[in-house]
Amino acid sequence: MTATASLTAPQPHADLNLLSDTDFRAAVRGWIATNYPQDLRSPPKRLHAAEAMPWYKILSQQGWLAPGWPREYGGMGLTPSKLLILIEEMERYGCARLPDTGVTMVGPLLIAHGTDAQRAYHLPKILSGEVIWCQGYSEPNAGSDLAALRTSAVREGDQWVINGQKVWTTLGMDAQWIFVLARTNPQAAKQKGISFFLVPMDTPGVTVRSIINIDLHDEFAEVFFDDVRIPADAIVGAVNEGWTIAKNLLGFERLFLGSPKQSEGALDHLERLCDHLGKRGDYASLLNGLRMELEDHKSFYTTFADKVRRGDTLGPDVSMLKINQSALYQKIADRIMDVAGELGTLAGQVPDAPTLYPGSVFLQARPTSIYGGSSEIQRNIVARQVLGLGR
Amino acid sequence: MDVVNATGEDRLEGLRMLVGSAAGVAARDGDLKAVRQLRFGRPGLDRGRWSEISAMGWLGLRLPEAAGGAGLGMAEYAALTGEVGAALLPEPFIEAQLALDLMGKDAPAEALSGDRLILPAWLDAPDGLTIAGDITEAEGRISGRRRFVPMAAAADAFLVVSSEACWLIDAKAAGLSLEIEDTVDGGHTATLILDGVEADRLSAPDAKALEAAALATASALLGIMERAFAITLDYLKTRVQFGQPIGHFQALQHRAVDMEIEIGLTRAVLHDAIEAFDAGDDCRRITSRAKARAADAAMLVTREAVQLHGAIGYTDEADIGLFLRRAMVLAPRYGSAGFHRQRYGSLTEGRP
Ligand SMILES: Cc1cc2nc3c(=O)[nH]c(=O)nc-3n(C[C@H](O)[C@H](O)[C@H](O)COP(=O)(O)OP(=O)(O)OC[C@H]3O[C@@H](n4cnc5c(N)ncnc54)[C@H](O)[C@@H]3O)c2cc1C
Repeated sequence: MTATASLTAPQPHADLNLLSDTDFRAAVRGWIATNYPQDLRSPPKRLHAAEAMPWYKILSQQGWLAPGWPREYGGMGLTPSKLLILIEEMERYGCARLPDTGVTMVGPLLIAHGTDAQRAYHLPKILSGEVIWCQGYSEPNAGSDLAALRTSAVREGDQWVINGQKVWTTLGMDAQWIFVLARTNPQAAKQKGISFFLVPMDTPGVTVRSIINIDLHDEFAEVFFDDVRIPADAIVGAVNEGWTIAKNLLGFERLFLGSPKQSEGALDHLERLCDHLGKRGDYASLLNGLRMELEDHKSFYTTFADKVRRGDTLGPDVSMLKINQSALYQKIADRIMDVAGELGTLAGQVPDAPTLYPGSVFLQARPTSIYGGSSEIQRNIVARQVLGLGR
Repeated sequence: MDVVNATGEDRLEGLRMLVGSAAGVAARDGDLKAVRQLRFGRPGLDRGRWSEISAMGWLGLRLPEAAGGAGLGMAEYAALTGEVGAALLPEPFIEAQLALDLMGKDAPAEALSGDRLILPAWLDAPDGLTIAGDITEAEGRISGRRRFVPMAAAADAFLVVSSEACWLIDAKAAGLSLEIEDTVDGGHTATLILDGVEADRLSAPDAKALEAAALATASALLGIMERAFAITLDYLKTRVQFGQPIGHFQALQHRAVDMEIEIGLTRAVLHDAIEAFDAGDDCRRITSRAKARAADAAMLVTREAVQLHGAIGYTDEADIGLFLRRAMVLAPRYGSAGFHRQRYGSLTEGRP
């Protein structure tokens, strides 16, 4: 494994897995408080890559960027239980979400299915922040029904030629590379003819157009492929195996879509809004009720996190966690609008209370029940795969 | 014949004609390009359309004929605000109407003709239907503060309202400063700081004018949800996933039915509230029911409309999101659902 040898260099820290959970949590908490850029604390919007880069670089230099990757690839190799603690502490402190597609998706993908050459080329660039990745799955006519995707990849000599369109690509305008699901066998059954490709965004024929969301933030993009030629070795895994690979990627990450973080942030916002209006007392019953629901969700989250800690794989029942998280988040966001009155109509921050932006919180809660598998699709999964109610 | 007291078919026919005539300026199925173009700009409205609206006689709609109005009732007024709501017009029709109602016989002719846009400034808290106090007057000049004046950048004059009097001030008067904030729908709202502003004192406000504005807003919210629902139904029939229109999925059919129920409830309570208003009853309790229902229902229907559109619903470029954002702005105006529930409770106390 010559390729991996070159990746072992940045490991300034000892094996943190040797610490007790309590000591580890204390160490992480202290380190974050000392090192986290204060101006990026709990940002009102998803940060662009350039905005998040200072934090990306700090984690990179500390060797903490990829806590879940094995140490041989430059990760921290944390056990699931330590990894959860690290994530909890970052969420607790209000650390901004990074442009993390490379770390959370491309890394694990290449570690599991890539070639040595792919790992040697791509992993260090993710770890250093040189390359930001985006995810090219959804298409205009393939959203919930992802397997209906039509972007095609055709083999010509030693190249693949890609044509088609991706959409809702988060931070697509910031990324240098995109990973793409494309149809390589139009004759095969829907899921059987799809392959997985790695494409540099500066390849001729790739065009990106940013899309403005309902909160007026250019959070995602459309990516067009017009005779985009990439080398034969840009495929990950075997030809026509892309669907299986993509499905396997949705393992551990599904836990984080159910994390209480967003609800916690929204409830905190609601409490501060009540304080601002001098109405904390009037809304005590509402706030207590929501706090209890949040604690219940945390208990629910813990039952799934414990499975991960034990090293078990998550089943389709984890969909329930995501359904409940987005429902609770949206419920709190709805109450924020109820309490805010006219303050909820403002497009930006409340002028005399700039840490309050109730309208934005409400709008940003909308897509959690759409992305990562909509709440309707998650309910279908639970109904069929957990409750056995399918045809 | 007095229209408000006309009954049955005559009045319904009049209403139908009125709504039909509204289509020219406030089309329910009109394209929303013009609405989009005005967003986040100043003054943020189309003076040409404002002139058309006044030329059609809408501004003096509820004023008695003797005062230059049309002597029509709440039913007619609400029918028009429903159309204006559905068309997402940024023009402050309800606010201008409220100023006229508050001025009554003192309303200047240029206001009725649409040449002078007068907006009321009556609120100082983020929520409620209670006229704020705290305006001080000395030697024909007033000082104080009013907040949340919609579309204030377009005003030629303001009607400053307190419980004991109304004052007319010029928008460019010395001592008046405006702090303007954008609202999510692309409009704006202003805080007026009054520091010794020259003012014409008018008579005390009739609080019933605010009840009319609340009902008119409930009707605008109904228009918003009806149109957002129609767009969504259409989408459910045309968006194909898994080889069929998504409207074939029972889970989504049930959601659509729940939206339709909310719309039906809103229509029903609004109908009763309008009838009570036109009958001259004390209609505060039913106005509260109507405004609370309309606000909650409009938020629910437009939220669901976005959800059923999937990711496209979360974009600025999809029209459906315009309805959600306008609902966000109108839901708290003239009292949020929470305010009106509380008011309903306190008005009900001690009743059998
Ligand atoms: C903020 C955001 C970021 C995103 N980032 C990315 C990204 O980086 N990369 C990427 O590839 N994609 C991304 N997506 C796309 C996301 O994965 C899709 O939006 C999602 O798969 C839903 O597809 P759709 O939007 O086409 O909705 P549709 O599939 O058209 O669904 C429309 C509505 O129908 C419902 N529906 C559909 N099928 C059924 C059914 N069988 N039963 C019941 N209800 C059904 C849906 O739940 C939804 O309410 C992002 C989306 C959002 C909102």
